[in-house]
Amino acid sequence: MLEPFILPLSVSIKTVSVATVITFFLGIAAARWMVDYKGRFSSLIDVIFLLPIVLPPTVIGFGLLLLFGNRGPLGKLLALFDTTIIFSWPATVVTAVIVAFPLMYMTARGGFEQVDTNLENAARTLGAGEWRLFWTVTLPLSWPTVMAATVLSFTRALGEFGATLMLAGNLPGRTTTLPVAIYFRLQAGQMREALILTLVVFIFALASLVLLAYWKAKARQNGRG
Amino acid sequence: MLEISIKRTLPGFTLDVKLTANEEIVSILGPSGSGKTMTLFCIAGLIRPDEGLIKLNNRVIYSSEDKIFIAPRNRKIGFVFQNYALFPHLTVAENIAYGLADQPEKRVIKKVSELLEVINIPALKDRYPAELSSGQQQRVALARAIAPEPEALLLDEPFSALDAYRKERLEYELLSLNRYYRGDILFVTHDLDQGFKVGKHIAMYDNGKIVQYADKHQVISCPVNRTAARLAGFKNLVEGQVVAYSDDAAEVFIPEFDQNLTVIVPASMKLIADQAVMIGIRPEHLTAVSQPESNTVCCRLDRKVHGVTTLHSYYHALNDHQQRYSLECRYLGVDQDLSAREEKTCYLYFNPQHLVIIPLG
Repeated sequence: MLEPFILPLSVSIKTVSVATVITFFLGIAAARWMVDYKGRFSSLIDVIFLLPIVLPPTVIGFGLLLLFGNRGPLGKLLALFDTTIIFSWPATVVTAVIVAFPLMYMTARGGFEQVDTNLENAARTLGAGEWRLFWTVTLPLSWPTVMAATVLSFTRALGEFGATLMLAGNLPGRTTTLPVAIYFRLQAGQMREALILTLVVFIFALASLVLLAYWKAKARQNGRG
Repeated sequence: MLEISIKRTLPGFTLDVKLTANEEIVSILGPSGSGKTMTLFCIAGLIRPDEGLIKLNNRVIYSSEDKIFIAPRNRKIGFVFQNYALFPHLTVAENIAYGLADQPEKRVIKKVSELLEVINIPALKDRYPAELSSGQQQRVALARAIAPEPEALLLDEPFSALDAYRKERLEYELLSLNRYYRGDILFVTHDLDQGFKVGKHIAMYDNGKIVQYADKHQVISCPVNRTAARLAGFKNLVEGQVVAYSDDAAEVFIPEFDQNLTVIVPASMKLIADQAVMIGIRPEHLTAVSQPESNTVCCRLDRKVHGVTTLHSYYHALNDHQQRYSLECRYLGVDQDLSAREEKTCYLYFNPQHLVIIPLG
């Protein structure tokens, strides 16, 4: 009886967990790299990284279809290994990562840039290489911001609908995430089921906001100290 | 030994300095924006000069010619930042141990407790920087910088955030540091008194150049030009012309005062007849007397300003040209006679012992 709710919930949890972990590392790496990168393409790269925020999800979905389709460059590449990601579970992860990445990147970068450069300089004169300096000074000092960025990415990944539907489709138990399930329940006139699914998403989002507020307060505290 | 010769050009500012420090404390003195901090950042490798050469104990750490730029972490140069830059998320002990990452743990513990003794705060080792007073923070920053035993130590205005009382104690502590730390120390300050107390040599900075670099006694007794004289505290500076001279003294005609002044000339200085010179005297050494004597100038008091322990008074010389030339006196204590002298003519005594003479051109 609970199956119609458990299935989309478990798909969403799997997708969002994997997507958040990938976004976390990808976003931090990109942010760290861009803080130092002073090359001539720096603004261009920044724009490309932030593009998914301003594009409608359907545009992203369509773009990904072109990219991963049978004739797309990435689709052809995957075909060499006899796989395709269109209408499969990994597609939900791909779209979630792409829409969540800009939030992670942008927020983490802001956090890194706020760390007093003299603290980083002090670490350098004390013999620390750039790697050690990042792990022992920059990251710990921007940790609350990084955590806030992770919560934001998590919620964005959870809420992804348009691009997911276009690239992953609606295959119950495989690619039907919570937002997709709500849409199709509503289409089928199953108000009660749609409402229950909505409540599940609502609880998730609320918990994330509470976490976010907590990390924000923590970040302010650090800034004062 | 630290040998520096660097150039760095920014829009509207050029840093161009040569400096050598030989296992001693060198005070870098100058107004803000004169390139003092930039020099330290170049030496530490935190910014890259446009050209030049930096050698530390005969090891080239930067050379534009040979395209050598040793990374800051490999330069073995300690740095105490103006705001101390203590890691806020690490304890005092962890801060001090940060530069000892490559050493075995036993040695790190021993070294840290040793340094905590030296800076006299062993009980605070588990506190965080925000829980320390600024004086304690400064000492932690110092301990952290010398922990890896750097070959040179750079101090960027380490006392600027402290109140007067703490400042004096810490100046004393910095001087006694010599017993613990041996190596070149560059000490940046904008305070003449502080630079003189702490350093053995003084490098006078102005607008990206070194105006004078010499033993501190030389710097405060024989400034080489107007800028150096101003930086060394000679607020009263007038131009004149040598009219007569002997081995150890000279008569100088001062058009501003319309009279001659006698100046004692250092043995090393060669003067010629009619030479244009500049005469300088500190406000503390200029005294007002009521009767004309030798080397006095007739003046009138313009205004006076009371400080806590000092009295500044401003005069102008009376002469036939009716030109107002302002002179400043500073007395320790409040001079009682002064009120009686207001709006009256008095005489300022230019003590030849305290006059400096600077050849011009």
